[in-house]
Amino acid sequence: MIVHVAAAGGRRRGMRLALALVVAAGTLLAGCGETEPTPTGSAPLVRRLTESEYRASIADIFGANVPIAARFEDGLRIEGLTEVGTSEAGVSPFSVEQYSDAATGIASAVLDAENRERTMPCKPRSADAFDRACAQAFVQKYGTRLFRRPLSAEQVQRYVGMAETGFDKLGNFYSGLEMSLVGLLMSPEFLLRIEHARPGKGPVTELDAYSKATRLAYFLTDSTPDDELIQAATSGELDHRRGLEKQVDRLIASPKFEAGVRAFFWDMLEFDKFESLAKDPTIYPAFTPDVLRDAQEQTLRTISATLLRDHRDYRDLFTTRDTFLTRALGVIYQVPVATRNGWEEEQFPADSHRAGIQSHISFLALHSHPGRSSPTLRGKAIREIFLCQEVPGPPANVNFALIQDASNKKFPTARDRLTLHRTQPSCMGCHKIMDPIGLTLENFDGAGRFRTTENGAPIDASGDLDGHDFSDVDGVAQALHDHPETPHCLVERMYRYAVGRDTTFDERPYMDYLYGVFERDGYHVPELMRAIALSKNFYAVRRPAPAPAHELARASESGERK
Amino acid sequence: MVTVMTKTRSFALFALFAVSVATESAAAATGAFDHGHAGFVFSDIRFALTDAQQAQCPHGLSLNVEQIFAKTPEGRRRRGESDKDYAERLNAGAAKVSTAANGDNTCANPAAAGPDPYAQTVDAPDAIAEGIDIDAHLKMLGIAPRPQACPHDELLGADGRRGIDNQFYRAVGCTHAFQSGGPANSFATEMLTGSWGILLTLDGVDDPVNDDAVEVGIYANADPIMLSADRKPLDFATYAIDQNPAFRTKTTGIIKDGKLYTKPVDVRIHDVVNGMHLERYLRDAVIEATLSPDGEVSGVLAGYAPVSTLYDNKFGYSAGKDGAGQPANPRLILGTANGAARVLGYTCPGIYYALKHFADGHPDPKTGECTSISMQFFFKAIPAFVVDVKTRSTNDRIEKGSNGGRR
Repeated sequence: MIVHVAAAGGRRRGMRLALALVVAAGTLLAGCGETEPTPTGSAPLVRRLTESEYRASIADIFGANVPIAARFEDGLRIEGLTEVGTSEAGVSPFSVEQYSDAATGIASAVLDAENRERTMPCKPRSADAFDRACAQAFVQKYGTRLFRRPLSAEQVQRYVGMAETGFDKLGNFYSGLEMSLVGLLMSPEFLLRIEHARPGKGPVTELDAYSKATRLAYFLTDSTPDDELIQAATSGELDHRRGLEKQVDRLIASPKFEAGVRAFFWDMLEFDKFESLAKDPTIYPAFTPDVLRDAQEQTLRTISATLLRDHRDYRDLFTTRDTFLTRALGVIYQVPVATRNGWEEEQFPADSHRAGIQSHISFLALHSHPGRSSPTLRGKAIREIFLCQEVPGPPANVNFALIQDASNKKFPTARDRLTLHRTQPSCMGCHKIMDPIGLTLENFDGAGRFRTTENGAPIDASGDLDGHDFSDVDGVAQALHDHPETPHCLVERMYRYAVGRDTTFDERPYMDYLYGVFERDGYHVPELMRAIALSKNFYAVRRPAPAPAHELARASESGERK
Repeated sequence: MVTVMTKTRSFALFALFAVSVATESAAAATGAFDHGHAGFVFSDIRFALTDAQQAQCPHGLSLNVEQIFAKTPEGRRRRGESDKDYAERLNAGAAKVSTAANGDNTCANPAAAGPDPYAQTVDAPDAIAEGIDIDAHLKMLGIAPRPQACPHDELLGADGRRGIDNQFYRAVGCTHAFQSGGPANSFATEMLTGSWGILLTLDGVDDPVNDDAVEVGIYANADPIMLSADRKPLDFATYAIDQNPAFRTKTTGIIKDGKLYTKPVDVRIHDVVNGMHLERYLRDAVIEATLSPDGEVSGVLAGYAPVSTLYDNKFGYSAGKDGAGQPANPRLILGTANGAARVLGYTCPGIYYALKHFADGHPDPKTGECTSISMQFFFKAIPAFVVDVKTRSTNDRIEKGSNGGRR
């Protein structure tokens, strides 16, 4: 089972990765002429925790057995990433309601009779009396973890006060603490990652130590800073290169790093869309709920094994035939999977036409329609997800009648039906960049099963990607692997993901620098993440410029009128 | 113990054990053979039965014990008797009818009762039945027909030719539940819920239209069948062969004009009724089935069911075992046997004596009495990957170290 592979492989990976990182660090120290460009930064952000970050944070702070009974609002995808959307999304009344439900459930579980022994930092004198010292210890312990920084004296007083009020109303010390914990969990300081800039002069500064720790932890582990990282922030360790390196390398060597890598690719591959993915069961009977669940996991396991366990080149993701399968997936891939319940590490046969994650069900089915494949959606997804190229939406008056008629006998294949769009002036501009790649993937139906014909007509799977011609679907894999924009795109995406915002024009030199590091290190993702995590740019923030005097005056006048 | 299945190891396992494993998806996609291999899972199976007609059942259908009691003066409804009271009296009367003179329940010991005068069977010499002529099948394979055992009237096929070997139809054909679409013929429902299943493999196939030597495997499926959301069996799913040697059968055969003819072999498959584990046993079973271009196999599984085994598994249920392989609860056995007889419209002695009467195979060397009855099933099988490995379940060991739902 993959679980054991990962568990056993985790130690090996840690050692191998450590060695590789030492070599990489040596290379950098040896000097290859490149130094990190001066940080330009952007304003400190307020980022809402994603569902995954929320769940991981709660599990890390209180234990994995604490239930989180809530439905989270869909993320807002900006610049190809929901993580970028976290700094722009609002918090709706629905979300507040769900956060409230989650907080109530968590607090109840944390302080129930079963967990109390483990979660309480102190033993109160009696459950029937209010023990202020114990309440204070509880608030300080969990407040620090939840807010990702020590609480101020005023905050401690506020949440201890909540506990006391709860005790007064409910007559039980633990019930009072529950109320206090609900308050902590509902606080913006927990739900939002509120970044603070270090005080100082000049337009560009850096995040304060706790904000640094937070940015670092969520980037590398998709979770909240652990005690050691918070301690490192408190002690000033993160303000020095050596201390920062120690923490970065510790996190990268930890099992949690895999969660961080998976979270990035989950976001980049738009797997949040699986929440609303549906297939017509009469057309794709094999696309069962098990397939829906396993398809994402297959790709994420493949990514973890390729990039972390086997420490391979990022571009190999587009050509690798190594993967993980369940029986449900085997039905669509039409390959045997001996293991009844669980995962089996496998390699697609050489002539299976399955190479790379773009040949996985998770890509092919996600970028298709419920009842038919879509060369356009697939071509667009390859351009946007893997190459960071933006493809405009269709014109408002486009006629989809023919392309939607998937059983049209006169135009049996998608290539036939799309000819109109590729030749119509208002459509051809975009279709010419999407269709040649998307049509090559027509050998896979809307569920991702391989086929050679459509409506009885043979499928012509020839195509090209930016000058790289191929005659069949296998050519896409190598073309994506060799495309110069493939690694560039990853660097850009990874950095946007790390800082939770789009990059700025001023950051172009830094992007070039990061790409140089990535290329020099053999396109290894852990090294890229390490380089980002150690760079000054990652922590740089720009102080908001003081408002011009005339604007302040106008604001003042406006205030007076009110 | 869940073991790590690395790709090297898994392929080694396939190399060692694979009975029919397609490794090229393109070949598999056609539903055709891959290097001479093909695997299938039964997606449908039912008795080859003909619906009762006046000519075949001139005296109507068999009665169950309740109906028999109702025919007696004591069993007639009394003036002013409420539905509830009458139902209770019928039930008590039925219990009496189900009790032999020696006190035994007639389902547990059908021989203790005499033949059931109300049991109806298909006696007409020229009755028409579904199924194949097993002797003609053997002739096709160059095997000498069996000597006629226990003289009996051979059934006519739909084409008017005599020789259909399906005496089980004669025994049950005048029972209301044993019609082609009757409740006794919907046992495939249990298969589709995953209680049991049947796998078929073909190996050494050089030409799927005409091949004079192919290897055939008929196995119990160790895995539940995989279904679509609308409960249809899925093609190209993977299934493991039952590791119990009793449920693994190999034979040989030929393919002629796209039709598979297999040589006789004993076949055992699982059955589950009321949670009791049972089996279906056919001696000298053959398959005569068409291989369609879309990869499906459909046809007939025919053979001879030993009468005692058939009765104990299908009617008396005394062979029933629990999940641990121990004899099932006697009350469950008795309740199932009597309940089934009541619901399906027969009596246990009626069936028991009919099976013995129409038995046409495997004569006892000492007594000359036939011990088995010819029986046929229609089946359909769809492409599947059949692997011979001991499969595991996560129930054996809950995965540790899972990420708790995190991505």
